[in-house]
Parts: sequence; C-alpha cells; structure tokens
Amino acid sequence: MAMLLLFCACSKDAEAEPQAPVTQETGEEAVLTISKTLVNPNATAEAQALYTRLLSVYGTIALSGVVADIDWNIREAENVHKWTGKWPVINVFDFINIHASKDVNPQGWLDYSDMTHVDQWHQLGGIVGAMWHWQVKANNGTNLTCSPGEKPGETSFDPSQVYVDGSAENKQALHDVDQVAGYLKKMQAKGIPVIWRPFHEAAGNTYEFEGGGAWFWWGAKGPDVYKKLWRWMYDRLVNHHKLNNLIWVWTSQTGDETWYPGDDVVDIVGRDNYAALMYPLMKEFNALTEQYPTKMITLAECGNGDEVKMSLWSKIWAQGSRWSWFMTWYDHAYNEGNSDEHQFAGPEWWTDAFDSGTVMDREAWKKVKSEK
Amino acid sequence: MKSEKIATAMKKLLICVICFISALRLFADERTILLGPKTIGPGWKDNILLEARHFEKAKAGDIITVYNDNAKRTAQAAFQDPKDWQGVAPEYGCFNVGGPFRMTLSDETLAKLRERGCYIGGHDYRILRVTLTPGEEFVEKIVWRGPAKQMKSDWSVSAELPAACFKTLKVGDGLVLHASRVEDGAAAKIMDFTWNVLEKATDGIPVGPTGCTYYINDDAPLLKLQLAGKDNPAALRIGGKGYRLDKVGIVSFIGQRSEDLTDVQRAPKEYKLQPGELFHGEKLFPNDWSGNLRLTAEPFQECTESDVLILHYELLKDGETPQMSFRENKGKWYDITGAKEPIWYRLDGNDVVLTFDNPQLLDHLKTSGLVITGLGFTLTRIELISAQ
Repeated sequence: MAMLLLFCACSKDAEAEPQAPVTQETGEEAVLTISKTLVNPNATAEAQALYTRLLSVYGTIALSGVVADIDWNIREAENVHKWTGKWPVINVFDFINIHASKDVNPQGWLDYSDMTHVDQWHQLGGIVGAMWHWQVKANNGTNLTCSPGEKPGETSFDPSQVYVDGSAENKQALHDVDQVAGYLKKMQAKGIPVIWRPFHEAAGNTYEFEGGGAWFWWGAKGPDVYKKLWRWMYDRLVNHHKLNNLIWVWTSQTGDETWYPGDDVVDIVGRDNYAALMYPLMKEFNALTEQYPTKMITLAECGNGDEVKMSLWSKIWAQGSRWSWFMTWYDHAYNEGNSDEHQFAGPEWWTDAFDSGTVMDREAWKKVKSEK
Repeated sequence: MKSEKIATAMKKLLICVICFISALRLFADERTILLGPKTIGPGWKDNILLEARHFEKAKAGDIITVYNDNAKRTAQAAFQDPKDWQGVAPEYGCFNVGGPFRMTLSDETLAKLRERGCYIGGHDYRILRVTLTPGEEFVEKIVWRGPAKQMKSDWSVSAELPAACFKTLKVGDGLVLHASRVEDGAAAKIMDFTWNVLEKATDGIPVGPTGCTYYINDDAPLLKLQLAGKDNPAALRIGGKGYRLDKVGIVSFIGQRSEDLTDVQRAPKEYKLQPGELFHGEKLFPNDWSGNLRLTAEPFQECTESDVLILHYELLKDGETPQMSFRENKGKWYDITGAKEPIWYRLDGNDVVLTFDNPQLLDHLKTSGLVITGLGFTLTRIELISAQ
C-alpha cells in the first residue's frame, strides 16, 4: 500500500513538474508510431517522397519556414536571407486573395495563375506550402471576410450548407475551391508537392475561456459541421480533382480534440502559437504527440505575441519541443517600410535559430533530398 | 465731486470687468491636467487613469490633448472607460498615434469622465503631458461644403479637395471631417494627391457620430499639400468607409497654454528595471479591490523550484485589512497554486516571499504567468531571485 501511495505521489508529481526534454531516444520512439505513408493512397511519388524525408529527420532537426507577405510572394523568405544569409526551407503561400487574381478578375492586383515564385522556390530546393484564409462575402454584400457573425463586416456564411448540394453556400464554395484546385493542379503538373493546410484554427478560442468561440466562419457551427466540411474539401480536391500532390495538415487549437477530422484524412497535425514561449510550447508539443501518436507534429504558425516575445528557437528546442517545422508569420508593415521592427520574428530570432544547429535551411534540406 | 465719484466707480467697474475677463481668459487656457512621463509599453498592458476631478467643470466640446514622444510607427492609443475597458466612445477605442492625439468631449463621454475618469492606454509610446482645453479656444472655418460623399464599405469612394481649401492651414490646426449616416466601424482615410495616405495616422481614422478631426502635427503633410500645387483641384483626398462626408473645416487654436501646475495629476515615478526586477514603481491596490498587476510567463520560463519572488510594498494609511493574493494569468484567475479558493497573504509591512516549490504553482507560472491582486497597499518592487 505504501508503495502504491508512493507511486501515486510520484506520478502526480511527474505530471505537474516540468517535463524532461524529449531525448533523441524518445524522439525516435515517437517516430516509430508515425504513419509512413500519406493518407491519400494515390499520392504522387513527389508528395510521398517529401513526407518520407520529413519523417526521416523528424525529432532530430526542424525545418525552417515562413509565410508569404499576405498572399503570393516570398518577401518574408527574402527578409530571412537578408538577415542571416540563409533561405528558409518552406515558403507557404496563402490563397486569401483569390478573388483578386487577374485570371478571374481583370481589376485584380495579383495573379495566382502565375507560378513563377512557386516554381522557382521548388526548383531551388525549397518546399512549397499553401494555406487559405478563405474569404467569403460579408453581410454588407461588398466586403470579403473570414470572420463569422451578424455585423455588416462579418459573414453569416453557413458552413453547414457548404456540403449541401445546390445550396447557395455550396455553389459559392465549389466556385472557390475549384479555383484553388486549378492553382494546385498547376503545381501538381510541375511535380511540386504541396504542404496543404486549409481550415486552420477552426475552434478559435472556444475552449480557452468562457465566451470564447471560433474566429473563422469554417468553425462557426462547431466540431461536427467542421469535420464534415474538412471531408467535403478532401473529397473535392482528392477524389474529384485528382489532386494527389497534397500533404494534408490539420491545425489544432487548445482543447479541440473533438474537431479532429480523422486519421484517414490528415497527414500532419499543427499548432499555431503567438505567445510562443518555450515552456508552454513544450507542453503543447508533448500533449499533441500523445494525442495524435501516428502523426508528425508541426508548429504551423508562430511569432511574438502582443505581450510576450517568442522564446529563442534554441531555447524552444532545448526545452524539448521537437516540431517538424516552424513557420513564422509575416509583418506587412515592416515589409512596407512602415515599421522598424519585425512584429513576429526578426533578425535576432532567426540568427539564433540557424546558429542553434537544430534548424535546417534550404541548402541543408537540398542535401537531405539528394541523400534520400 | 459727483462726476469724480462716477469716474472712480467707472474705473472700479472697468477694473472688475478686466479682472473678470482675465480670470475667464485664465480659465479658458489650455490647462495641464496630467504630467508625465508615463511609458505606455508594448502589448496594451500599460495605462494611466485621468482622474474624474479634472472634468468637474469641463463641458461638451472641450478637448483633451495627449502630448507624447517615443512613439513607434505602429503605436496605437485609446481612451478607455474604467468600467469595462471599452473606448469611452467607439471611435476612441483604438487609433493610431502620430504626434499629439486628442479627444473632443461629448455629453456622453463627459458624463463618463465626470463619474470615473478615463484611462489612456494603448502601446508603444510615452505620455509627456495631458491638457484640457475649452472648445471655444478653437475656431473653425468651413473650407469644403460638398457635394457630400457617401463612403462605401469597400473604401472605393473619396472626395477631392482643391488646394485652395488649405491656404491657411498650418501646423497645430486640425482638419474637421463633418460626417453623418455613420455606421459601426466607420473610418476615414486622408490621402495626398498621389493617393498615398497623408501620414500613417490618417490611414483609417475612426469616425464618431458627427465625424472626426485630424490634427497637423508637423510640416510633412503641409509639404505634401504644397507639392500638389496651388491650383491642384485634388490636392487632398478624403475617403474611407461607412459614413457620409458632408463638409470639411479647419480648426485653429487661438488660446494659450497655462503653465499653472496647481492641482495637476502627476504620473507615478518611472524606474528603469534592474536585472532581476520584474516591476519597480508605484502600483496602487486601493481598498475597492480594483488594483491588479499582471506578469506574463516570459520572465519565468527558466525558473526552477528553488527560485523565489520577493514583493516589496508600502501599506496604505487607511487600509482595511491589507492582503495580497497570486492568481493564474488566465481564465477566471484561480489561485496560482491551483487551489479553488484564493490564498491570502496578510500584509504586516514585511516583504512577501512567494516560493516556487509547489510544482503546480511553478507550472502555472511558466505556462501563463501571474496576476497579483489585493487591497490596502502600494506595490513598489518585484524581484525574481534565482537560486543560482
């Protein structure tokens, strides 16, 4: 009995105390349980090869990543190169402004059908990522927004109608998804695999505090609708459009287990964190690893928060987080010359990351590609 | 003799009138009500309360001016109601800082300020002084009378104002945008003749029920107007969304600033934090429980169970039962130890030492940080002592 009490006390302490960093061994143990193949059985050889390579380094080193400045460029990657002399591995593009793409809108200001940046990034050995701040018509009939709600600038676009054939939402969603599918097909045709992260942060802060909720329309109707929505998109892109170059990344929010679309339609699980401190990040990484043992875990978005500066990457790694990759967020004001400091991750952070010996740049990744 | 008496009486009357007018004039000046410096740091966590007493004699139309420096280009400010931390009016909930900023009092805002004052908050600038100026010290001349422009929600509409409107415009003046049909979230954008924003502060000025005012704080906007040329029919463009622009005026300050600092409110002294210090200043925890201080998890990331937090304070003279508690910096502010009921530290004048040997406390501290609550004391310093 005494032994039992001692055991209980110890295990309780172990839960509460700072957890030990994930060691090389435990990292490898974790890797053993992770699925070796993509969920799409028809995945292209390029997509499967990319996934295999990600898995081969998982737990031992992280890949560096940035998001585009708003939509369709590599401006943030250029920042990193200017600061450190190195290019990040991953550049994530955002389909946020598809409505303003010149191929569908003569008055548009960008052209998603122009694959120059994507193609070059791929040719130079980088990984292409894509996400989608999917904007729909706001209630005022003119604005575009992702924010759900009843106000004029918000949208009451109903996600539960998206997968109802013939509904207004279904028609609009098909129009938009098919447009995006067109761009992804161009990438597929060029042999470019894409880390694809749609419908991110769906639960918002629903489980963070009382009164919290979804901040994107795709989460506005709760987990069941959301999961159907995810599968609807998966079906449309994979089965209808035969897009087999996608690696499907689902972004988890705190406490949103019931929102997980399922092991059969998700390849990698991500977490977005803008109060990215080393200790809570370590806890989140460990929790996600435990929760989704067959998936790699990634820090899909990160950066300084309003109140705290993101911990240096060297500290994050030392604390035990073993994210597959990280992706820092963009600062449009900085890129436009309207701010002196990068709001989310500046030169000091990136220099530390590359100096830590735990982060790959694009050149290092090219070596992995050539070896494996 | 009688005429001498009359003359003397007239003289006295004249002196009285002059004194009265002088007194009125003195009262009419721009008066300093708060003297800084007060640093409003990053992350919307700093603020200072403008005490209600300053507004006892104020009236609608009077103007609060916040002079500041050290503003980052991304700095923002707010005038917030202590009751709910919302802007005292929607247009004052969050706006860009580009030089001194102002609030024109309305009947509604004045009522709030008289009752409970207001916080000046935001991020990334430093308050030097705050003044209150009677509205009549500003005179307005309408320089553009339409035709009125309805600003659509897609920001596509703008009004063009010819250079002739701005002949008399000078540094210190304000452009008053008179608006009607103002919707929630209405914002104005003032652009130069090349369609670029006149300055950062003019990119999305919140528009109140009757409009908004943009003050010229330096020569740069005037130079842009000059560059447009004196005959340019579109030297300035005013756009935005969610309001109708009816007319535009220029307000000029015709008064003077009083140097009288009697009754001025002084910001607490600011100290530069020394290594290991998490707070150094004067943070009041009054008897109404309204005081609290939040510390983020950032400084605690590498703490161990051997570290301690030492809190220095001074007891209030009229304190009830001075006490302090430590809460999780999230959700419902549960006790930092995880206990359902808060643990209260009775204050006897000696420093409070918070040890980290409770694993849950340490975990909460490193995960989300700490909130200090309590009453009956002024917190003066917090030190984080590492066992190493």
